[in-house]
Amino acid sequence: MKSLRFLSFILLLFAVSCSPVKTSRLTEVKYDERNPEWESPFSKDFDKAMFKVTLDVKGKHLSGIALIKKTSDTSFHFSFANEIGMTYFDFELWKDNYRSDYVFSPLNKRAFLKILQHDFRLLLFTGSFNGKPTHYRDPLTLDDIYFYSGAHLFAYLGKENRKLTRLAGWSNLVDAALIGLEYNQGDFPSGISIINPRIGMLLELNLLGR
Amino acid sequence: MNKIGLSFIFAFSALLQFPSLGQVKPLSAADAEMVKKSISDAAKSTVSLEAGFIQTKELSVIREQIISKGTFYLKKTRLLRWEYTDPFAYLIIFNNDRIYIKDEDKENHINIQSNKVFREVNNILLGAVQGTLLLDTKNFQCSIFDQHDQFRALLVPVNQKLKETISEITLFFNKSDYTVEKLVMREASGDYTRIEFMSKKINLKIPDEKFAIP
Repeated sequence: MKSLRFLSFILLLFAVSCSPVKTSRLTEVKYDERNPEWESPFSKDFDKAMFKVTLDVKGKHLSGIALIKKTSDTSFHFSFANEIGMTYFDFELWKDNYRSDYVFSPLNKRAFLKILQHDFRLLLFTGSFNGKPTHYRDPLTLDDIYFYSGAHLFAYLGKENRKLTRLAGWSNLVDAALIGLEYNQGDFPSGISIINPRIGMLLELNLLGR
Repeated sequence: MNKIGLSFIFAFSALLQFPSLGQVKPLSAADAEMVKKSISDAAKSTVSLEAGFIQTKELSVIREQIISKGTFYLKKTRLLRWEYTDPFAYLIIFNNDRIYIKDEDKENHINIQSNKVFREVNNILLGAVQGTLLLDTKNFQCSIFDQHDQFRALLVPVNQKLKETISEITLFFNKSDYTVEKLVMREASGDYTRIEFMSKKINLKIPDEKFAIP
């Protein structure tokens, strides 16, 4: 849990200092003809996962339990309730569609919900199918970074385990979104943090069970 | 006879053998008032209450449950401690107008008057356990039913603001001691949260430190 906070902090520093990714700080790997195959940990055989959640946005702090469930090959359901059981969000998400089943009225702000949808799409519906990327390498961590220009998406793959460790993209034309994923064991992330610097949103999900 | 027909006959005969499963009788106005008075009297004589609880959040759209467990402490008049132990440690203390939350190593102090959600939650929880919710005609319309070995009180919000969050609250009272055994809070979303109390200890001494806010 503490390491997820550290990851969030690093992402935040990263985010406030620049647009999602400053490629001038990276080394471009030229003549790489390979197209790496990776996908969201929520694809393939994912069914459902329960998370302990904290959401900080515009000075408000919410916490509770969330469930993400794959409801079809093309949709996910996200439910988030506080510890006492009162629902904050309950929505179904497709790659190009959204259905709100319930939003707690103080959080029912159109712009905020749009950003949340985009951020979750970035997390849930992403993969190497986004086209041929430009390949970069982080000179410090030696992580491979792939930029998919058509999707405005940067994907970081760990140097050794080739697991997806970070996603950087845009929630819309002006809002950068940064997603960090950390793994304790196995291929599914034990912690996920989503940062949207412009609206000051930090959403942290810590895995409770699958 | 097909399988559906056989299942129907089996279910019907089961209901006949266990009439309590099928009988929920609304009480007359006079009887309802008597039950309310008994619940209120029992609550008045309850100085403290300690109980284990299992909380089940039913997610209606995706038919899933989130189950939490812990211990609950109440001390007259406005001291309440919810201590969740599963699936993770989480503590809420309501001490008059102050709320203290400890979530792992993170602590949070909230003034109840400045936080509408917690104010409502506090009123509902305290009112449910102390039985005063049944007398709150300003916010709820109350009907009482006789259901086997329990009285079931159905509370429907009349307050428009409250209706936006909660569609109804059902409280189940033990017929022998009139203490609350179960609370079901149905939200406007269709989801509901069921809290079942067990191993109740009534009027045992609970140290004030349990409700102290650091």
